[in-house]
Amino acid sequence: MDSSIRKKILIVDDVDLNRQLLAGLLEDYYDIIEAKDGNEALLILQEKTTDISLILLDMIMPGRDGMEVLKVMNENGWINEIPVVMISSETMPDIIRLAYKLGATDFISRPFDQVVVQTRVRNTILLYDKQRRLSELVAEQILEKTRNNSLLIAVLSHIVEFRNGESGMHILHINIITHLLLRTLIKKASQYKYLEKDIDIISTASTMHDIGKISIPDTILNKPGKFTPEEFNIMKQHAMNGALILDKVSFKKDEPLLKYAYEICRWHHERWDGRGYPDGLKGDEIPISAQVVSLADVYDALTSERCYKKAFPHKKAVDMIYNNECGSFNPILLECLRDVEDELPSEFNRFTWNHQVESDFSKIYEITSKDEEHPMYSQTFRQISYEHRKCNFFESLLDGIVFEYAYNPRMLKFRPDGAKKLGIPRIIADLDNAGKYPGFVDQENWEYIQKQFYSGSPDKTTFDIDADLTIDGKRTHCQISIQQIWNKTTDGKPIPVSAYGLARPKKGMEEK
Amino acid sequence: MTLQNFYDSIGESLDDVLNRLHKEERITKYLGLFLQDPSFNDLEKGFAENDIEKAFRAAHTLKGVASNLGFQKLSEASSALTEDLRPRAFTDNSKPLFSTVLNLYGNIVDNIRTLLA
Repeated sequence: MDSSIRKKILIVDDVDLNRQLLAGLLEDYYDIIEAKDGNEALLILQEKTTDISLILLDMIMPGRDGMEVLKVMNENGWINEIPVVMISSETMPDIIRLAYKLGATDFISRPFDQVVVQTRVRNTILLYDKQRRLSELVAEQILEKTRNNSLLIAVLSHIVEFRNGESGMHILHINIITHLLLRTLIKKASQYKYLEKDIDIISTASTMHDIGKISIPDTILNKPGKFTPEEFNIMKQHAMNGALILDKVSFKKDEPLLKYAYEICRWHHERWDGRGYPDGLKGDEIPISAQVVSLADVYDALTSERCYKKAFPHKKAVDMIYNNECGSFNPILLECLRDVEDELPSEFNRFTWNHQVESDFSKIYEITSKDEEHPMYSQTFRQISYEHRKCNFFESLLDGIVFEYAYNPRMLKFRPDGAKKLGIPRIIADLDNAGKYPGFVDQENWEYIQKQFYSGSPDKTTFDIDADLTIDGKRTHCQISIQQIWNKTTDGKPIPVSAYGLARPKKGMEEK
Repeated sequence: MTLQNFYDSIGESLDDVLNRLHKEERITKYLGLFLQDPSFNDLEKGFAENDIEKAFRAAHTLKGVASNLGFQKLSEASSALTEDLRPRAFTDNSKPLFSTVLNLYGNIVDNIRTLLA
């Protein structure tokens, strides 16, 4: 962080004289932004969350008061990023206590004293800066470690693949299918709910399922024709060999990753009916991790070209699995496969290694966001800004109108091209007080759309709605696809905080 | 009239304010802004229109503003009125408490006008 850049302080007070007093005491050292009520403050925060280093907040204001501002800052997670110092002349212990409970950092009482105000502000900003730098350091190290781990696992898994004369696609596919099947399984069968936290780990471990092939001679491994019984016996050893390799790892035996990798290596050729190898386990004796990877392995083997076979089309492969032509599987897993059948091919196309980076990132975010002592800072923001650029790029390729809807305070943002098509400004701030519907839509449609924005739930965050919009001056029947983001209020109730959307004219109806 | 004369004539201490805000010209500027501050008008309106919420908020604001400018007596009178109105109902005390605020405020405003004239 460049200390030569002046930090910005947001002063929120309905009394002009109070704002000027504080500004007068601080403007030699900081850039001052003023808001005359809670609503204005929230609108500023929505636009410049990351720019603001500290908020001086009055408690009693007409309209949205200081408490309201603190509540919304909690809902949107801003409270972890920006220190709030109360400046109320309020002396009621209850109110002060509640403000501290809602995350206020400090309190400056009236009358204001230059030394006190300047010192509190400077100390608070320094403290937050220090914490910010520390958590940045921690996050960078975790990120590097996670990347190194994934990289090593990928290298290890690829060694086998390349000896096999295959591209890296197989292990990538296994990873995707395993992930998808597990996600479906935990939703479908409550007895597997406990796996939820391990889905990423099992998927990573799945890429190691064939490491035992390292000990199989090339001549057998790459033989195009059918195996002789002796050759098949040697080939079969790869399962146990993989498990032995992992068993020889003398450190971190309790790591879930190693535990799952062991199960998967050893038992991914077992069969539900007990006729698999190497141990002939039957039914639920086979660990669920190995069952899932086994199914993923068979599906991908069927739909890929191998040295001994051509690729079957998706439909045919699924039929063969259902008919037990390629093994025998847990009926629940077959149901899961049926459920995800339609998603599978598109999932492959969607997935790139970028997703891996994203998922590393979300893991770190998860770790650090749970740590109240060290909220996420610049590292996150930097990453988000990269993601943002990526988003912008893809958005620019989209045919349609992209928008963003914020719930509290309500605000609509468009890309410049979309705003132009609709003939409106890029940002419609403060929908609460605008008191009318925006120009690109009539009242009936606007009320309908507004209602829909509140119709999702944390379990169903994406949906489509139909509405008439005025595009390029023409009333156009559109499909609007919406993705909601949910968060929790201070008392744990789920609430939507923002929504992203894409409006496209419905085919054949543009000229309505 | 000097700033010192002004604080003397309203019976408050310039030194206290200077200790906190450090610069005379800064204080003079804020005294000018005090004339434009709507809190007292709002308070008057609150009483006239029987608008308890408005009256409470205005009393509360006036208390803070007055204390910042070193108007100790006005701040204390506004504080008493604030606490009287906090349950959001006018009481028998409200009117007399308001009269005290009115008198103190009138005296301060007259003196600021003389100072800035």
